[in-house]
Amino acid sequence: MSDEEQVVGRVIGTEDATPLEFWVGVGEDAFLQLDDVVALERADLPGRDPVRIYGVVGQVRARHEGARFDSDVWLIEDGVLPAEVSEAAQVQATRFEPEVFVPPLPGQVVRRASGAERDQALFFDGMAKRLPAGLTRDDEPLYVNLEFLDGTRGAHVNISGISGVATKTTYATFLLYSLFHSGALGADAVNTKALIFNVKGEDLLFLDHPNTVLTSDDHDRYTKLGLTPGPFTSVDVFAPPRRGDATAKPDVTSRTEGVTSVFWTVQQFCEDELLPFLFADAEDDRQQYTMVVHNVTHRLTQHAQPAGDGAVTIDGRLVRTFRDLVEVVSAKVEDEAEGAEWAGRAIGAGTVGAFVRRLNGAVRHLEPLIRADVANPERHRVKFDAQVTVVDLHNLNDRAKRFVVGVVLRKAFEEKERAGQAKPLQFVVLDELNKYAPREGSSPIKEILLDVAERGRSLGIILIGAQQTASEVERRIVANSAIRVVGRLDAAEATRGEYGFLPQVQRQRATIIKPGTMLLSQPEIPVPLMVQFPFPAWATRAAEAGANPTATDHPDDPFSTFPKL
Amino acid sequence: MRFAIEGWAPEYGAPLDPAALADPATPADLGVEVPVEAWAPRRPAPGTAAPTSVLFVDGVRRVEARVWVTAEDGAVHQGICASYASGAVRSDGRARLVHARVARGLFCPARDAEPVVTRHATFPVRAVAGDDLEQLSLSLQRCMGDLEAEVATEVADAADLVVVDGPLKRGGAAPRAVGYVKTHHVGYLAAGPERVVAALAPGERTPLFVVISLSWSRYSWYVRLPGAEGHPWAGVVRCEVAADATVAEAAAVADRVTAALPRFASQPHKDPRAPQNLHPIAGLERELRRRLGDPALLYRALRSAAAAA
Repeated sequence: MSDEEQVVGRVIGTEDATPLEFWVGVGEDAFLQLDDVVALERADLPGRDPVRIYGVVGQVRARHEGARFDSDVWLIEDGVLPAEVSEAAQVQATRFEPEVFVPPLPGQVVRRASGAERDQALFFDGMAKRLPAGLTRDDEPLYVNLEFLDGTRGAHVNISGISGVATKTTYATFLLYSLFHSGALGADAVNTKALIFNVKGEDLLFLDHPNTVLTSDDHDRYTKLGLTPGPFTSVDVFAPPRRGDATAKPDVTSRTEGVTSVFWTVQQFCEDELLPFLFADAEDDRQQYTMVVHNVTHRLTQHAQPAGDGAVTIDGRLVRTFRDLVEVVSAKVEDEAEGAEWAGRAIGAGTVGAFVRRLNGAVRHLEPLIRADVANPERHRVKFDAQVTVVDLHNLNDRAKRFVVGVVLRKAFEEKERAGQAKPLQFVVLDELNKYAPREGSSPIKEILLDVAERGRSLGIILIGAQQTASEVERRIVANSAIRVVGRLDAAEATRGEYGFLPQVQRQRATIIKPGTMLLSQPEIPVPLMVQFPFPAWATRAAEAGANPTATDHPDDPFSTFPKL
Repeated sequence: MRFAIEGWAPEYGAPLDPAALADPATPADLGVEVPVEAWAPRRPAPGTAAPTSVLFVDGVRRVEARVWVTAEDGAVHQGICASYASGAVRSDGRARLVHARVARGLFCPARDAEPVVTRHATFPVRAVAGDDLEQLSLSLQRCMGDLEAEVATEVADAADLVVVDGPLKRGGAAPRAVGYVKTHHVGYLAAGPERVVAALAPGERTPLFVVISLSWSRYSWYVRLPGAEGHPWAGVVRCEVAADATVAEAAAVADRVTAALPRFASQPHKDPRAPQNLHPIAGLERELRRRLGDPALLYRALRSAAAAA
C-alpha cells in the first residue's frame, strides 16, 4: 500500500496532544480500531532530523458534532438538525525515533503502520531474539523480546486472570511451545526444560498428544507465527499414587498410559529434611510450634537409619509408612525422657500438642505420597529427563499440593544451583501462586519461590507464574516478573495497583476480554499489547487426544499384583 | 385575569410587537385566495405532500471590534471590523450543511481606508454611507443579506423548497424562495381576519394575502407551529413568496410549506426561541458562528495588527 492509502486521519487540536498520548480525527473513508498501530512524522524541529512518532490505538470514540442534547440524535436521524458524525482515536505513543519527546502537532497526518513500520512501532525491529507471543486480531504476529525472558535483561512471566475464562495455563503452555519450537532459543532449545504443575483438571496430561480438533485456520495461525503446530515431543507425566492402592498406581482417570506415579520414600523424607514442607507457616516466627518442626527435622536426619527400599529404622523401630513415621515422631516429642531432645528445650506441652495435631492432620493426605511399601521406589522419583515434566496435583488437597510443589521446586532449584550455569534454562509453570506465595506470612515454599524470583534469572530458572489475583501474591514475585500478562480480570481486581502497567482503558478491557485473548506487557514497549493465541495444537482433554505412540505404559513392577511373600 | 408566559427567553425579546396588533396603516389585500368574509383557518389541501428536500438559508454576523481610522487629513472616523457568514442546510432524510461562505469586512467611511490584514484574517474595506453606528450596522446587514442571496442562488436548484430566514428582499433570493419571518413588527390584518390567526391550530395557515411594501408585493400567510400555547399569537410565523406567481401556485407553495414546517419546529428546552426558531436554522446558525472563528483570537489578532500598523 502506498503512503496515501495508509493515511487514516489527522491529529486533532481539541484534545491535548502530548508525547505520551494524543487523539487522531479519523478521516472520512478510513477507520481505526483498538490496537491498530499508527505512525506520523514531525519534521519541523529546527536543527533536528524529522522525528517519527509511533503509537497504538487505545480508545476510539464517535460522536455527533452539532448536537447539544442526547435527544438531538432523533432530530439528526430524522433529518431535522444538521450534525456531523466525528470519529476520533486515542493513541498511546510507543516510540520516538530519534528520541526527541515532542508532541505531535494538531493537523499532522497520521498513517496506519504496517510491515517494517509496524515492527518499528512495536520495537520488534530491535529485538535480536524474539519469541512469537501471539497474534493481533488481524492475525499479525506479536513478539516478546527473549532477552527479557531468558535472564539476559530480565526474566519470569506473571499471568493474572479469572479461572476458567482467562486461559492462563493454556497461554503459559503456548509460550513454552513457542520457546521450544520457534527457534528463538537456538541450539539451546533441545536441552531447555520445563516443569509444569498441573493444578486443575487433567488438562495438561495430554501435552504429548496432537489435538484432533485443530482446524486448518488454527494451523494457519501457527504458520503466521513461524511455528509448526503439533504436540510437545518429549513429555514425562508424574501423578500422585491413588489413595489406598498398594501398588501406587497413578491417580489419574482420563489418561491411562505413560503416567508415572510419584512419591517420596520415608528415607528421603528424613534425609532431605522434607518435614517443614508439610507446614504452610513453618518459617513464621510468630508460630511457636515451628521450633518443634525444625528440631524434629534435625532429629530425623540423625536418628533415621536406612532399612532398604526407602524404609528407615528410628531407634530400632522399622518405619515403612508415613503413618508409622507420624506415630514414632508423636511418641518421641510427647515422651517425657526424649521430648526435650526431639521437641526442643523448654517447649510447652501446648506447643507440642499443636505440632502433633498438625502432623496427624497431614497423615490422611500425605500417606500416599510418603511411603516405603512399594518395591523399586527409584522409579517413582520425579526426574527432569524429558523436555517437559508435568507433575499432576489436581487430586491433592492443599497441604499435599504445597508439599509436592515445594519439594519438587527445591529439587529443581538445587539441581540448577549445582549445575552452576544458567543455560540451558529451566522453566517452571505454576498456577495458583497465591496459594504458594501469599502476600502475608512465610513458608518454606514461599521462600523457594522468592529465591527463584530473585536469583532465578542468574541461575537460569525461569518462573511462569499465574494466579487469579496478583494482589494476593507476594509483591516481590510479581515485581520481579519482566513480562506481565493479564487475561479476564474481575472488575474490582482490575482497579488494584498491581495492574498499574495497564492504562485505564486496558483495565476496563481486561474485565471483558474473551478466552484466548491476553494483554501482554513487556519492558520495552510502554503500552500493553492485546494478543490472541492460537488454539492449542496439543490435546487438552482425552476427547481431543490423537494417538501418541511414545506414550505407552511401562508397568512399574510386573509382579506387583502377586501377593507379597 | 388570564395571562400567558412568552415562550421566548426574555433576552431575545418577544416575537410579537404590540404595534403589530394595532390596525394596519396600509391594509393588505386579503381577498386574493378567499373573500375576506370567508376567512378561516386552512389545512393544506388533501394530497399535499411535504417536500422531500427542503433547503434552509440563513446568515450570521458578528462585530469583531470597533475601530477608529485616522485619515490622511487627520480626520478620525469610526468603523467596525466584522465577520459574517451565510450558509444552507438541506434536509432530505439527513440534514446537512451543503454550502457555507464566510466573509469579513472593515466598515468605515474613511476615503483612504485600507484592508486590515491580521495574522488570522483579512478585513477588506466595505462601502459605508456614514460613520454613525447605525449606518455601519446597516451596511454590515446589507453585506450579509447579499451573501445570503448569493448562497441561496447557488444552491436553490438542489431542493424542492427553499426557506430563507427573514423577509424576502427584492431581487434577492432565488425565485422560488419562501421568506420565513419569526417576529411581527407590523400588523397586516384588520381585527376580523386577525381572529383567524388566533383560531389557527398547529399546522394550519391563514388564507393568502398580498403585502405591498416599498412598491414590491408578495403573497403572505400566517402559520401556527406546534409546541406553543397560551396566547393567540403563540408559535405563529409569517411566510411570504414573491407575487410573480399565480394565486393558485402560491397557494400550493403555501400548503407545502405549511405541511413541511411543523416537523422542524424546535422545543422550548432546546431553543430559547422555540418553536419559531426552526431546528435546521438553529443548527445552521451555530455552525456558521463556529466558522466565523474564535472571537477572542480575532480580537487579539486585530489588536496586534493595529499595534504593528
